Amino acid sequence: MSAIPSGGAEVAAEVAAATPIRPPQKQRSRFTADTVTGWLFSAPAIILIACFIILPFILAFYFSFTNERLLSPPGRETQWIGFDNYARVFNNPRFWTALTNNITFSIVVVPLQTFFALFLAILVNQKLRGVVVFRTIFFIPITVVMAASAVIWVVLLNPQGLINAFFEIITFGNFSPDWLGDPAYAMAGIIMVSIWASVGFQMVILLAALQDVPESLYEAARLDGANNWQQFRNVTLPGIRNPLLFVLTITTILAFRLFDQVWIMPDRPGGPLDATRTLMVDIVDTGLNQQAVGRGSALSVIFLFIVLAVTIVQRRLVKQEGEIK
Amino acid sequence: MTHSRTSRQVALMATVALAGTAFAAAPAAAQDDANVCDGVIDGPVTLEMTMHTGSNPGAEMETVDAFNAGPGAELGVTIDVIPIGEQAYETAITSAAAAGEMPDLVDMDGPSLYPFAFNGLLSPITSCVDQEKLDYFLGSIIEQGTYNDELYSLGSFESGMGIWAHKSMLEDIGARIPTSIDDAWTGDEFEQVMRDLQAAGYGANGPLDIKWHYGAGEWRAYGFAPIIQSAGGDLIDRSTMKGSDGVLNGPEAVGALNQFQTWVDDGLIDLIAEDDNNFTVGPDGEANTGDETPLSWVGHWMHSLYSENLGDDLVLIPLPDFGNGSKGAMGSWNWAVSSGPDGVPNSGDEADLDAAWAFIDYATSPESVLRFVNGYGAVPPTADLADFPGFQEGGDRELYIDYLSNAHSDPNLEQNGSMARPATAAYLFIRDRFSEAFADIVAGADVQSTLDNIVMQIDQEIEDVGY
Repeated sequence: MSAIPSGGAEVAAEVAAATPIRPPQKQRSRFTADTVTGWLFSAPAIILIACFIILPFILAFYFSFTNERLLSPPGRETQWIGFDNYARVFNNPRFWTALTNNITFSIVVVPLQTFFALFLAILVNQKLRGVVVFRTIFFIPITVVMAASAVIWVVLLNPQGLINAFFEIITFGNFSPDWLGDPAYAMAGIIMVSIWASVGFQMVILLAALQDVPESLYEAARLDGANNWQQFRNVTLPGIRNPLLFVLTITTILAFRLFDQVWIMPDRPGGPLDATRTLMVDIVDTGLNQQAVGRGSALSVIFLFIVLAVTIVQRRLVKQEGEIK
Repeated sequence: MTHSRTSRQVALMATVALAGTAFAAAPAAAQDDANVCDGVIDGPVTLEMTMHTGSNPGAEMETVDAFNAGPGAELGVTIDVIPIGEQAYETAITSAAAAGEMPDLVDMDGPSLYPFAFNGLLSPITSCVDQEKLDYFLGSIIEQGTYNDELYSLGSFESGMGIWAHKSMLEDIGARIPTSIDDAWTGDEFEQVMRDLQAAGYGANGPLDIKWHYGAGEWRAYGFAPIIQSAGGDLIDRSTMKGSDGVLNGPEAVGALNQFQTWVDDGLIDLIAEDDNNFTVGPDGEANTGDETPLSWVGHWMHSLYSENLGDDLVLIPLPDFGNGSKGAMGSWNWAVSSGPDGVPNSGDEADLDAAWAFIDYATSPESVLRFVNGYGAVPPTADLADFPGFQEGGDRELYIDYLSNAHSDPNLEQNGSMARPATAAYLFIRDRFSEAFADIVAGADVQSTLDNIVMQIDQEIEDVGY
């Protein structure tokens, strides 16, 4: 029983959607040896997804209409309370603060991180000696557990830490904010860490995509007299379009799931003054710390629909531009 | 200063003792009942116990090992420890309870006990303890372990709060140095001392260390609720235990926290320190060079580090009096017995209470208490202080005993002494809200509206859950 959606479902659906569509196959009868083998092979995955994603979601949906609690005194019965949990969530100003923070974070992080990822991917796609070293360096943050790097960043972002020492040098001492203690800078600090920590993942996906663009296209473009920018605009971008869209979507979903950093890094989870409180923090705080499983479940359901809506809208908008293939 | 118990504590202990004899007087029901101490351990048994691992878990582990090797081996009782980190301790136990995996024994931080008792996850030990054992403890330990007139836990040590100071620095600025809880600085006097220290150049990041790096959770409620209590406010309305309106957001609490907020704004509070070293060694990494933070607002657990580094220059000062007396804090980790893995009382899966009690009895024996007092600098939980010179009259930590022996739970009472954390199942909720609000106030939030907001949440929660 988990009031917290892992978000695995959305990501899995996205991965499936982003893989190239296969040519339609002939209709076959349902129970050939092949289909049975197919089902057998997918059974472990199906069972795991059913147990850990579908079932918890159905339970969360059910709990969201009850006053279920994590622990109850003996004799207390769980009651059906209709939409009370939802009403309570929507009437809670902290929910709207959390949602606003999520949106702010996504609006800044998604374009910025995708841009950096593409920039780094192009940098490390050069045919230079030792470029593997740089690929490894940019990818290393991904291999560190977020919680661990968050703890280290707390030290780096200390008002007298390394980051401020750097800013003080380049601004002649005019800029040294209390990154995690000042509500005005807390989200900026979190954004900085988040991009550092996960840009390598997007970079690797885009790097693979870049290497898939045939060299012959660049040769043809150069023969036509295209300069570097024109090659990038008319050969590279169309060539990596699908992976780029995948990166955009997955970054959006991951941005909405912002949790580890804002739980660990500020003075208190989501602090200071709720400046970094996100929906995930709200869900964990409500469902686990406050033990209000019913209200936490309502939050999870709302969260899922928000992420789903954002993803659908994003895909619709992008698809209208037409497929280039 | 007398070290006798207050009448309230005596009355409380008498209640517990009476309840104990009532249980003992029902012999028929006591036979073969795992939930009642019948004085017979039913057979060789291994009990699982969750235990917090703090920065120095030595004394707890030594106690368990000594029990397993000594009295435990004789009685056929073995304790199997499940260590859990201090930061998420309550969450871990809550999850275990929700999953039907409660251990047999639990180690609880002060009032965390009450929500677990409320939810039926603990078995009372009222039937195990006799009058002699009750008399052996300070009243505060019995008070901490009592919920709904049943005794649920006993602790191996008490705690104490105060301000550690560099005596030489205070003398340098000509400050009056209070020596007992009855001549504590007033809030304004304390502010002046800090301003003078700041003006004299002591403490690069502010003259007062408040262990901000401990983070959210128990410390901020334990350490800073005394501020509002000293002003006449409280965490909950103790006359009803049903809400906090008017006490947590009343003019007294708001006034004291407003004053505290100005100290933060004026740079009197060190919020930057990342460890405990700012008080002892300062930025140059050397002790006794005058660049250390002059004051440290913290509990007894810093005594050994501080006294090793400062020696005779270390002095313990009572917390300031914001108008209604100097209030300390009290209570600490305590041992309780679970109502079995499923967390349902009387369901038949409980461990033999006599076996569990054998451990608690040993863990609170003079032999064990010595480990905690010597190992952690903890405050002895016992009424008799003969073995503990530091806590006797004239000792360097006599102050802690003064706070505890004048303990009370009436915020309107103008009396110097510790106030117990409220014995309500809503404690963890209140603690988390207060800790959050305190952090927000330090970050510059409006005090009145921040407190109004958490009071609304607390009152709503108490109504929802029916605490």
